[in-house]
Amino acid sequence: MRFFGLLLVATLSVFSQDSFTHVVRPVLENRCLKCHGPAMQMGKLDLRSRAAALKGSGKGPALVPGDPEKSPLYRHIAGIEKPTMPMDGTLKAEEIEAFKSWIASGAPWEGTLAGPAAANRANDLKKLEQWTVPAGVREQWTYRQPAKSAVPRNAEAHPIDAFLKASLDKQGLTMAPAASRHTLVRRAYLDLLGLPPTAAQVAEFVDDKSAGAWEKLIDKLLASPHYGERWGRHWMDVARYADSNGYEHDFDRPNAWRYRDYVIQSFNRDTPFNIFLTEQLAGDEMDQTSYDRLIATAFLRNYAKVGFREKDNPQFRYEYLDDMIATLGRGVMGLTVQCARCHNHKFDPIGQADYYRLQSTLWGYVEVDHPLVPEPEAKAYETAMKQNAEQVKPLRDEIKIIEQPYREKLLEAKYRKWPENIQKAVFTPEKDRTPGQVLLANQIIRTTAVTPAEIDRVISVADRSKKDRLEAQVREIEKNKPKPIPVAMGITDGDYRFTPDGAGDEAAPGKGLKREVIEGSYLADGTRPYSVPASHFLYGGDMYAKGSETQPGFVAALDDGNSPTALPRPSGKTSGRRLALAQWLTSPGHPTTARVAINRIWHHHFGRGIVTTLDNFGKTGEPPTHPELLDWLAVEFQDRGWSMKQMHKLMMTSRAYQMSSEFSTDQNLAKDAANLYWWRFKQQRLEAEVLRDQIMASAGTLNAKMFGPAIFPELPQEVLESTDKGIWRKMADGPEVWRRSVYVYRKRGLPLPFFEVFDMPDQNITCGRRNVSTVPTQALTLMNNDWVIKQSARLADRVATEAGADPAARVKLLYQLAVARQPEAAELEKGVAFLRERSLSDLAHVMLNLNEFIYLR
Amino acid sequence: MKLPQGFVNRRNFLFEAGQGISGIALASLLNQDNLLGAACGGADAVNSPYRPKPTHFAPRAKRVISLFMSGGVSQMDTFDPKPALEKYAGQPLEGKGDIVVRQGHPGPLMPSPFKFQRYGHGGLPISELFPNVAKHADSLAVIRSLKGRSNDHVMASYELASGSIRMGWPSVGAWVAYGLGSENQNLPAYVVVYDARGGPFGGPSNWSAGYMPAAYQGTIFRSAGDPIFDLKPPKGIAPEQMGARLKMLDELNEMDLKKNPGNSELSARISAYELAFRMQGCAPEAVNVDGESEATKKLYGLDNPITAPFGRQCLIARRLAERGVRFIQMYHGGIGNQNTDTWDAHGNVKDNHTMHAAESDLPIAGLLTDLKARGLFDDTLVIWHSEFGRMPISQRGLGRDHNPGTQSIWMAGAKIQGGQAIGASDDFGYQAEQQVLNVHDFHATLLHLLGMDHTRLTYHYQGRNMRLTDVYGVPIPQIVKS
Repeated sequence: MRFFGLLLVATLSVFSQDSFTHVVRPVLENRCLKCHGPAMQMGKLDLRSRAAALKGSGKGPALVPGDPEKSPLYRHIAGIEKPTMPMDGTLKAEEIEAFKSWIASGAPWEGTLAGPAAANRANDLKKLEQWTVPAGVREQWTYRQPAKSAVPRNAEAHPIDAFLKASLDKQGLTMAPAASRHTLVRRAYLDLLGLPPTAAQVAEFVDDKSAGAWEKLIDKLLASPHYGERWGRHWMDVARYADSNGYEHDFDRPNAWRYRDYVIQSFNRDTPFNIFLTEQLAGDEMDQTSYDRLIATAFLRNYAKVGFREKDNPQFRYEYLDDMIATLGRGVMGLTVQCARCHNHKFDPIGQADYYRLQSTLWGYVEVDHPLVPEPEAKAYETAMKQNAEQVKPLRDEIKIIEQPYREKLLEAKYRKWPENIQKAVFTPEKDRTPGQVLLANQIIRTTAVTPAEIDRVISVADRSKKDRLEAQVREIEKNKPKPIPVAMGITDGDYRFTPDGAGDEAAPGKGLKREVIEGSYLADGTRPYSVPASHFLYGGDMYAKGSETQPGFVAALDDGNSPTALPRPSGKTSGRRLALAQWLTSPGHPTTARVAINRIWHHHFGRGIVTTLDNFGKTGEPPTHPELLDWLAVEFQDRGWSMKQMHKLMMTSRAYQMSSEFSTDQNLAKDAANLYWWRFKQQRLEAEVLRDQIMASAGTLNAKMFGPAIFPELPQEVLESTDKGIWRKMADGPEVWRRSVYVYRKRGLPLPFFEVFDMPDQNITCGRRNVSTVPTQALTLMNNDWVIKQSARLADRVATEAGADPAARVKLLYQLAVARQPEAAELEKGVAFLRERSLSDLAHVMLNLNEFIYLR
Repeated sequence: MKLPQGFVNRRNFLFEAGQGISGIALASLLNQDNLLGAACGGADAVNSPYRPKPTHFAPRAKRVISLFMSGGVSQMDTFDPKPALEKYAGQPLEGKGDIVVRQGHPGPLMPSPFKFQRYGHGGLPISELFPNVAKHADSLAVIRSLKGRSNDHVMASYELASGSIRMGWPSVGAWVAYGLGSENQNLPAYVVVYDARGGPFGGPSNWSAGYMPAAYQGTIFRSAGDPIFDLKPPKGIAPEQMGARLKMLDELNEMDLKKNPGNSELSARISAYELAFRMQGCAPEAVNVDGESEATKKLYGLDNPITAPFGRQCLIARRLAERGVRFIQMYHGGIGNQNTDTWDAHGNVKDNHTMHAAESDLPIAGLLTDLKARGLFDDTLVIWHSEFGRMPISQRGLGRDHNPGTQSIWMAGAKIQGGQAIGASDDFGYQAEQQVLNVHDFHATLLHLLGMDHTRLTYHYQGRNMRLTDVYGVPIPQIVKS
């Protein structure tokens, strides 16, 4: 047999050896061994070695070298015999063919197969680490720097319109006429503020016949503090902002709201987008830092977090970093960089090397609560806390000594309650315990505690009074604890291996992460230059399969190589890597940052992006419908100092933005039913938050108070019972919670049902574009939800008070408050007729359900 | 300029772009006196997110009833007897590397306090905890080697629900609703009923639609009263009054529609009100067990306060199955007091499992019997599982800690060959050893039985065709073979 094998190998053709290595072996390893390999041998067939394949199953050999037609292995993969193999889908025709010729040529085999790819790993790893961007990538639009092309010359004066008109003309599509002034004013208010205009605000615009009336309105709205509440919320979708940790314990994040307020204020201040981004990535590293900039670093920390005994689970750090990279990739660069965690990107020119460069850039991060007081004050607080603890300690030790005899007695009584075998383990002297008893005794002894209350029940009067005196002293000292200082949840650089314990982080004695013997500290104090702990390339994304040490850097396909990968900080406390990342992202040559940002602004104004996949500009995203316009806007955005407010005004002053949404022609519908060329304005279903705000604005109940800790709208008992972790404070349904939706507590484990049903995105992952669905539960909510009905009753009350008893006046005011216009004659007539039979609350509730109410038009 | 390829069909969901159905149907519905009976089975599916969709190949099951035992059931005490635990009782578990426990330190090996017996022609061993389920032994395919990735309740629950231990991924029910739609447009395709003591670990994320549209997320049904939140108007609004509001709404929306030609979103929204209105009649009818015979009620244990709560859930499961709901998720055990209200037997496995088995054994057996009697068993997949198994070593002498190394689950119905045990754990039940299966394999199997190829059921997101099974999963051969 051995001789035969040697002979066979000697006569191999190069081709069949090749086909074993390149086709047969990978198929066997990846497709067959799962069921016929180390884990199991289905049908008693093992395909790990040639010998085993020749032995075959109980029914005979699987492989007959030289004769594919007689080899069950071939017959089953070719479907000649049933069942066709593999079970999870047939092989490609060329693979089946390769098996056939491989068997025909004698089925040469090399070694024993272990499982997928194990053998080639070292080779593979090297290739992956040394990966470079394929040639010619920069010719694809995504990776090319945006450049302004000439604005098309046609009748349109506004550059946006000129670009759009050029493509409309080419398609033979007719542009819609301008929308009515009533429609426009509601559109502008809902779009920029997320609130409907009042009757007076409508009149102010409608009656302003001056040429600059529209621009004046836009300026006024952009200056409103409510603008930041609306547009800041869009960014919070990208930033996966929430007020709780998520996962099992869903701990409250008591300071998360400071980030939310920072975002709102940044929009209101029109912080240039490049600065806004830099603050969020590296606020702690900027030359001039500020409380706001420290608060901004929460952007990177907004990930869902396990937050309990984290030290026992070091793998989570990789998950948090992955979430950061996904957020930066999709939210800022418009690329699905996170796909390259375990392998090179399947579609885009992004290597695993890119992923680990980015990971290395972020690797130094540690979670920190930045004090929001001057440094001396923060230091003084820390010192005072420490001193206080030191003063208390000897007193507490004394108390322990008094309690000790009682504790011991009580412990023994507790041990005596266990079944006999456990008692025996506990009471056997340590040296005489069997190995099993050691474990058992250990478990019981370490987890049996006596509470002070239990001791107090048995303590002698004399000891009790001694203890009471000491405790009184402790309380007296603790009164002098300093008042907590305000802090912001954020990040900075440090050494994660020394992160202090958080809530619930104390590992059980003797348990916990086995740390390498290292010296270091959590935060650099500036006395020695800070250096980032080493990070490694991970083969297959597996934290235990470490490759070379990684260096910081960026996504190569987007990188012209001119940006430094670290900007050393004078303080020496951080690495400057994140600042370098921000500088690179906002450098004029960066291909995607400005495009992604401007496309998102366009999407929110027009209801659809020029690239519809807001967070995916790669091959699997959609190409831009108007590439020249996108680039023109991206460059213009940077030329205007990354001012978002200027871009709003630019877009809203276009004719395209002011078109009617009700217009249509048969020809347009036939040619472009989806309105891809923007021949009419796209109606947009209001987002969940805007819908809730609009209901309160119409009813006159909205409390415009801004900022601060979150509000908790009432939830049905059953919803609260679906989870018992984290917090949901009890707040009565009243003005205190009738604040804008941006202030509603975002609990990861329990989204507000009203928001959820209207497509609020999952709060745990960065979201580019929200889903817009139309489902019966939305109808049920608006029809039957107690809160909606109560608000509609308040709307009715308001109308009764303000319009008086005249039914026509009531109908008119209802239309004004709900849809910001006067009813048409038919509507007025219908409304008045309805009121003859039905109550005002009935009609008010109908108004809050109208399609017109739910859409921006 | 070239139109982006696949622009409309790939990105837009059917129910976003309605088919131009007018709201006349709502008006006619409003004029009907009685919405019950025949109306609840009917299906005008055109504008519904739950419109039935074709399978990839002939399905073995039309629907799934998933019975999830929250907290983690001990395999050594239920479906995976380990005589070696008797022999080595009180000794350390050695030769298995570091024993990773969730709480404290490892204890010594602990035999099961429960006796096992073989049942049925297949001779399947089942512990004394499940005398009634054991009568169906020849219908159960027990899997003894399902290995998970986390010993944390929430992550492990998410893994079973979605294939990922992270938050934010669509649950298997959402995938099924997305892939198959529903046979009944008057009820949600994916219904969740949780234990009266509270929801499972991890809460609503367990039935989330993740990145998919909200339509596919599980809808919570309460097992008493109005099953869906906001199903009925609050007290003080008579049905007739709400009818008048809806009629007015419908007429005004129709007028509005005429001003917006070619806008299918608006007509879809009108249809959504119509569906909602029908749901108002059909959902309460689906959970109302009053009309069931005394014999049926007894079959599910409704006559006994211990079995009645889960019995009611199981009976509702059958009623939903009859009415064409696609994915029926029942939770037994809910967060309240974790150690007693769920299967999380850290303190005392004997007390804990005795209590929870007593609550659920008869109802589950009743469900299986009833499905068989009504001819539903062969095209319904029933799954019994939890988030992980438990440790063969003791926690403080009487309890058992979490163990994702293996768990025993069973599948039944859908013409699955019963009476078989698939895979095996090691001698002590610590780790899956033979035919080690992961959650992706389990999900691939489930989809396969429903007529779907898990590699072809995809949803485009983040530039990728996402799958429930990621890039893994092989249907379990012994289950899917016909």
